[in-house]
Amino acid sequence: MRTPGRQDGDEAELIERSRKGDSAAFGVLVERYQRRVVGVALAVVHNQDDAIELAQETFVRAYENLSKFESRSSFSTWLYRIAANLAIDFWRREGRHVVLHGEDAENEIGKLPTSSGDSFKEVSRSELSARLKQALEELTPEHRAVILLREVEGMSYDEISDVLQCPRGTVMSRLHYARTHLRTILKDVGGN
Amino acid sequence: MAECSEISMMLGAFEDSELEPNEMQEVAFHLARCESCTGILADYSTLGRNLRSFAPEPSLAGFSSAVVARVDRLPQPVLTRIERFLRRQLDSVGSGIAWGGAAAVAAIVTIILMTPLARQFATRGTQPAAIASSVSNAAVAPAQVASATAGEPTMADNDSHADISRLESENHSVAVWSEPRRDTTVIWLPDQP
Repeated sequence: MRTPGRQDGDEAELIERSRKGDSAAFGVLVERYQRRVVGVALAVVHNQDDAIELAQETFVRAYENLSKFESRSSFSTWLYRIAANLAIDFWRREGRHVVLHGEDAENEIGKLPTSSGDSFKEVSRSELSARLKQALEELTPEHRAVILLREVEGMSYDEISDVLQCPRGTVMSRLHYARTHLRTILKDVGGN
Repeated sequence: MAECSEISMMLGAFEDSELEPNEMQEVAFHLARCESCTGILADYSTLGRNLRSFAPEPSLAGFSSAVVARVDRLPQPVLTRIERFLRRQLDSVGSGIAWGGAAAVAAIVTIILMTPLARQFATRGTQPAAIASSVSNAAVAPAQVASATAGEPTMADNDSHADISRLESENHSVAVWSEPRRDTTVIWLPDQP
């Protein structure tokens, strides 16, 4: 996995060639980052077909806007940010969920029941998979994005903060909400 | 000892190792004494494992080629098109200059190599002309003879560079020689009785 930051010489050259219209050079960059860009989109929309479509759109937008990309920042973070923005916009256009921020989100956490112990050990694997999928869909795209970017994509809080363009504290509170929510729902499955 | 409500807010970040060192220490101390918070932390850990385990792996076969195909179909912005046109022109002008330079160098080398040969050929070509000129001079000599005085043979005898080139007559009493310095052919006739 590539760490964010300055590009290596090879990447800087690929970006420069892409800027000059070399689509083959851009293809190399696509190969390099496609999996994680799809992962970011998937973390938000939670649908594979939509995520792949959004990832393609992400790369096309990136190609069109390469002249605006400043080489001082990380190309990968720039890409993931485009992907996250497109995915969140897509999700909002669908209008399926209400997004909670700040105190509203904290109040929601307060309404969740609390429990202790390993809640998942008694649940069968297929049931757990189905319930987990459903529980993720019940989250807002912002909350789902932070938990999946952290747990599946392995991003640090700072990276998530960069990609989703929100303060680090917001990343922490969203993660807390998402974890508490998922744990509670899964515990209910385990208890049945 | 910190309250569970306070610590539970930090448990996720503790699991992710994203707390400050003093906070990490505080949570660790609390966990050593609190079964409830330890259970929640274990759940977070299991939740993370399950999320990774059940994460879908979308097939990306043909993904990059599809993106490149879309990128190739994009209409190019005017500025980009102008830039590419200029670059192509610059490239072709550059190669033209290179070819022109190579041709010029080849021409110069050819001239340098060929000039001595050309001179040599020119020299060979002028030699027959010089002979012809000499014969021609000999041919006009009789006209000069007509104006020659009787005392001239004496002068010729005294000139060590005088060169009798050829005899024009079977009559041994007549001598013909050329005098190259003066570009003159002299015909000596004895006094007539």
